Amino acid sequence: MATESFPLADATSDPLVGGGDTPPVEPGPGERKRLTKWQLYSRRFVRNRPAVAGIVIFVLLVAFALVGPLFAKYDHVELDFLALSDPPNPDHWFGTNNAGNDLYAMVVVGLQRSLLIAVVVATGTTILSAVIGTAAAYFGGRIERFALFVIHFLMVAPTFLLLAMMSNDSGGDWKVIALVLILVSWFFQARTIWTLSLSLREREYVHAARYMGVPGMRIVLRHLIPNIGSLLVINFTLGVVGAVMAETGLSFLGFGVKLPDVSLGSLIGIGASSMSSAPWMFYFPAAALTLLTVSMALVADGLRDALDPTSAAGGRA
Amino acid sequence: MTTPVLSVRDLTVSFPSEAGRVDAVRGVSFDVAPGRTLGIVGESGSGKSVTSLAVMGLLDENARIGGSVTFDGEELLGKSDTQMSKIRGNGLAMIFQDPLTSLTPVFTVGDQIVEALTIHNSRMSRRAAWDRAVELLKLVGIPRPQERVRSFPHEFSGGMRQRVVIAIAMANNPKLIIADEPTTALDVTIQAQILDLIGTAQRETGAAVMMITHDMGVVANIADDVIVMYAGRAIEQAGVDTLFADTRMPYSIGLLGAIPRVDKAEKQPLVPIKGSPPLLVDLPDACPFAARCPIAVDACLAAEPQLLAVEGAVDHRAACIRAEEIRAGLIDGEPVYPIPEIPTSSLEQLPREDRKPTLEVENLTKTFPLTKGAFRKRKIGEVRAVKGVSFDIREGETMAIVGESGSGKTTTLLQIMDFAPQADGDIRIVGTSVTDIKGGRAERQLRRDVQIVFQDPVGSLDPRMTVFDVIAEPLRTVATPTAEIGPRVDELMDLVGLDPAHSDRFPAAFSGGQRQRIGIARALATNPRLVVLDEPVSALDVSVQAGVINLLDELKVRLGLSYLFVAHDLSVVRHIADRVAVMYLGGFVEHGDVDAVFDDPQHPYTRALLSAIPIPDPVKERTREHIVLTGDLPSPTDEISGCPFVTRCPLYQTLDPEQQIRCESEVPLLTGRPGVHVNACHYR
Amino acid sequence: MSRYLLRRSAGWLLMVVAVTNLTYLLAWAYLDPRSNYVGRRPPLSEQQIVNLLEPRNLDDGTPLLERWWNWFSSILFRWDWGVSPTGQSVNDQVAYRMWISGELMLGATILLTVLGIALGVYSASRQYRLGDRVAQGTSIITMNIPIVVAALGIVLLAIAFNNAVGSTVFYVTGSSSPGVSGFLPTLLDSVQHIALPTAALVLVGYAQYHFLQRSLLLDNIKSDYVRMARAKGLTKAQAVRKHALRTSLIPVTTQVAFSIPAIFTGAVLTESIFAWKGMGQYFIETISKNDVNGVVAVAAFGAVMTAVGAILADIAVVVLDPRVRVS
Repeated sequence: MATESFPLADATSDPLVGGGDTPPVEPGPGERKRLTKWQLYSRRFVRNRPAVAGIVIFVLLVAFALVGPLFAKYDHVELDFLALSDPPNPDHWFGTNNAGNDLYAMVVVGLQRSLLIAVVVATGTTILSAVIGTAAAYFGGRIERFALFVIHFLMVAPTFLLLAMMSNDSGGDWKVIALVLILVSWFFQARTIWTLSLSLREREYVHAARYMGVPGMRIVLRHLIPNIGSLLVINFTLGVVGAVMAETGLSFLGFGVKLPDVSLGSLIGIGASSMSSAPWMFYFPAAALTLLTVSMALVADGLRDALDPTSAAGGRA
Repeated sequence: MTTPVLSVRDLTVSFPSEAGRVDAVRGVSFDVAPGRTLGIVGESGSGKSVTSLAVMGLLDENARIGGSVTFDGEELLGKSDTQMSKIRGNGLAMIFQDPLTSLTPVFTVGDQIVEALTIHNSRMSRRAAWDRAVELLKLVGIPRPQERVRSFPHEFSGGMRQRVVIAIAMANNPKLIIADEPTTALDVTIQAQILDLIGTAQRETGAAVMMITHDMGVVANIADDVIVMYAGRAIEQAGVDTLFADTRMPYSIGLLGAIPRVDKAEKQPLVPIKGSPPLLVDLPDACPFAARCPIAVDACLAAEPQLLAVEGAVDHRAACIRAEEIRAGLIDGEPVYPIPEIPTSSLEQLPREDRKPTLEVENLTKTFPLTKGAFRKRKIGEVRAVKGVSFDIREGETMAIVGESGSGKTTTLLQIMDFAPQADGDIRIVGTSVTDIKGGRAERQLRRDVQIVFQDPVGSLDPRMTVFDVIAEPLRTVATPTAEIGPRVDELMDLVGLDPAHSDRFPAAFSGGQRQRIGIARALATNPRLVVLDEPVSALDVSVQAGVINLLDELKVRLGLSYLFVAHDLSVVRHIADRVAVMYLGGFVEHGDVDAVFDDPQHPYTRALLSAIPIPDPVKERTREHIVLTGDLPSPTDEISGCPFVTRCPLYQTLDPEQQIRCESEVPLLTGRPGVHVNACHYR
Repeated sequence: MSRYLLRRSAGWLLMVVAVTNLTYLLAWAYLDPRSNYVGRRPPLSEQQIVNLLEPRNLDDGTPLLERWWNWFSSILFRWDWGVSPTGQSVNDQVAYRMWISGELMLGATILLTVLGIALGVYSASRQYRLGDRVAQGTSIITMNIPIVVAALGIVLLAIAFNNAVGSTVFYVTGSSSPGVSGFLPTLLDSVQHIALPTAALVLVGYAQYHFLQRSLLLDNIKSDYVRMARAKGLTKAQAVRKHALRTSLIPVTTQVAFSIPAIFTGAVLTESIFAWKGMGQYFIETISKNDVNGVVAVAAFGAVMTAVGAILADIAVVVLDPRVRVS
């Protein structure tokens, strides 16, 4: 009660769990207020230089994946028998492999594939983890115990092995890979969300809604999930990184995307086998992949700084 | 005149922030004389805590500090952390607000006291330090200090932890102890103990005390000199008697007028101060209080008034250009704050028995099972959080339940709100028993009649919803046609004194008091018969609190509402309630009409509770008899066969052994004049 | 207290058993040992295949429940984890492979945890200064380099380094050289082999502890009890060292247990890149060869590692946190 705090110091309280994040100033018009909030976020984001670099790199990569094919002289499955294992040259910008595939075309397609899987998986895990995490925390009791049991079970379970088994069985269909990736990677975020929602569940506005007779699932959707919005945004970005890594790891081992379809992972797998004879086969996909993950991670970091100024570190805890 | 231990001159503190530089402290000067107690009062954001942290050198590194702080002849500002560490804890000690977080959880309290001793005295042997630690624990009243010195903080109650913190502060016989809201987080009976203890510490060490608080009662109880702070400046400074008797600055007057008094029976409306404190960014050169001041004149906006001696008296200074026109709260024969009018209800003419009950609670009980085991929970016992509580509330009536934390008052309220079916009792809301409710529809129907207002004005409104959506939510839940929602929300905003045009804003754009009004509007949306108020004003500053209390009073009359009011603040209860129940360890110990209970308390616990509240009147406060209860609330898991209050009861101590046996073995029932005033003590 | 640990351990053991059994059932859904023989030349008759698979408990003609019971009972009573479709004993394979992987995972886990915590403390004590910014910038990049890229990059660097010094200082394939004997030569040989894969795992793994430790420590530095310690007369550095650090280590410890699956995944990829004949490589081999029993053994190994990590974390928490000790 009546703790000494400066109204403006309140501005740094945690919007992640929906605290009072703006000072009790004399009200200004609502719309303008809302705009200021976004302005504040973007100002904080822009202040984080690496994050801006990250978003620029990411946008360039996406643009490359989308418009890259327009400039490709070859199709990624097309074989140029006159250019086997060629180093980068004006005709084959990124060189070719020993079968004569154009690496430029393959990297573009691989990037598309990896991005697509990553975005699908990140969307899926974010939604799944948000609903399960908040619902488990809100409803408590049996639902919570069951959800936690599943989460702990998945923590012990060798998910990568199950993933490899299932995706190998699918013959490298990216849709199956994405689905399985969602199934085995939602739980970690769900646990974080659950922990956070435990405190959210005790918020008085949640009690208030319950005592008004608002049905449970509606409270979860109307009150809990919107209030972890910024966390979900960050989770989504980190989910993209995680999914790219898992997918490329799988494809590298040969359990993921399979020829003729390519992903950055399978390209690196091919590159790895010819590292000393044709190193470019490794360099280009590896560079695209690393730029993708690192840029996205920088964006996530910037978002965290912008949306959640209380988090001092910005680690992936 | 003695040389002051601490002398602060023109202290300024500012912090960078998103919105610009925050000037948290703007030129504060004061002296603390040896052995005396200086009270610094102010509301949140007044700069009082920042002042104390600046003296201690404990502000964040990004704070910019100016002016001068001389302690014991030494200038403190500009000293390095290492230099300051020689002074901190040695000559200059501090007691913080929250005892639950002030002690490091992973070390024993003994370790932490010993550390305070040896850090300033490296020659002290470990043996001697431990002996001294035990001695200190004994001094601050920790029972069995020999054993307890090896306990970890989490094994102590809040009050006990604060005693340990005080022991640490006393460890090196400091010359000045700074206490920053040391009792705010504690219950009132514990507060009385701690205030006593700070007095003891002061006598033992001869230290001066700087007491920072928002509570005028605490100031009246403990301070010799007082500084009232507002918007980062001292706005009135005087000896404690002068300040209370001859208040000159309108803000100080408002602060005193806004506090409900536990010792006053007549129900005069409280006098709120309108508006809220200014943001401390780019303050204009004008009186910062002018916007809220009822007697502001144009000259107030011309320049910020200096803290000047009032009528030449050196020890009374005020920062108001009209200070000399003000006498005893009057200016030109009129009160500085006009007293608002609150309508009276026609229902009050009707005798209580003739009014319809809106809530009937019969033998409400709540037990929590105590379980053990990681996989299969085995029940090893139960905690009886509420033990057979019965009461009723009639139309237009306010029933208050008071008690300290752990008394079960909140559990009682949540049981009612949860519509928890009772095995051996009943809860009836406007005649409908909660056991008869089957299904969500019937439940929602009944929920229309009972709504709740929460304590925390920040936490009770979803920050991601506009105020319109917040107030409309209960309407939508009961399937109100969309066309009716808009006008109804406007009507409700208007009812609680907010501008309906502001309903498209987010809660964050409103101040604490305004948010609480939004919470009230939401509770009233479905036209309930009963509103449950869970500590609705305890999170608000006193100046704002008064406005909300008046609003509640007014709404009750206008809408014929009944309130169930749960609070720990007996002053507020006395002001607002018609009937009151005092709760201790899950049961009522006294219950009846509010004046009967407050003017003629019977149960020893009620008496102790009432006497523990500091009254904002230093003269009365000095002559009043304080009953300081010893010890803490027993653990609810303890098996109690007789009167639950026996372990702390002052009356029990005076009884002869035969009578004591009855207290220990027989549970006292509520007896007296049923419906008017009953209490649960065998000997009252 | 020991009862608490015992109870926790029993819980983890149950979890491991459950996971292993579930993997067995799932493995049968996705792996088909029969297909190993289908394309054979000369083609094998149905009966011949059954004759080959049936004694190995790998014939899908036998009801799943019976197969499961055969498998489970032989583990339970004889500690026999079955054979591969070609008749190799899983026990034999795992017996030597687990030490190879265990060595790699344990070494890497210890190194990356210590490094991460140390950097976290360093970073937190220099919040927003150059050292902190550089450390954080580096960590966010290393953490997000895919392990495959990191490992292959390290291989390239090591080859360049070996070429530059003119001798093989770091081996890029295998976990040991054949024919090395004697204590010191063996030790040196293992170090030369283990250095690179460990470096790869540490490079991508340490950063999460760096960030976690940093943020926890910063939270604790702002806590009331650190302020209280300073008010007692400790300097800021002393207060942080004595009061904040220990409290902040508690959640980090728990985190270690939960990151073991990620380290295992990392080990699978590194082993494949550095051609280690460990559990990771076995993982790839068993899946591609439809070796149900082998796959399950790999799963069990992973689960046991996680459980061991979790139990160690529990012990560490009990040691560090008196609040747990009492209850």
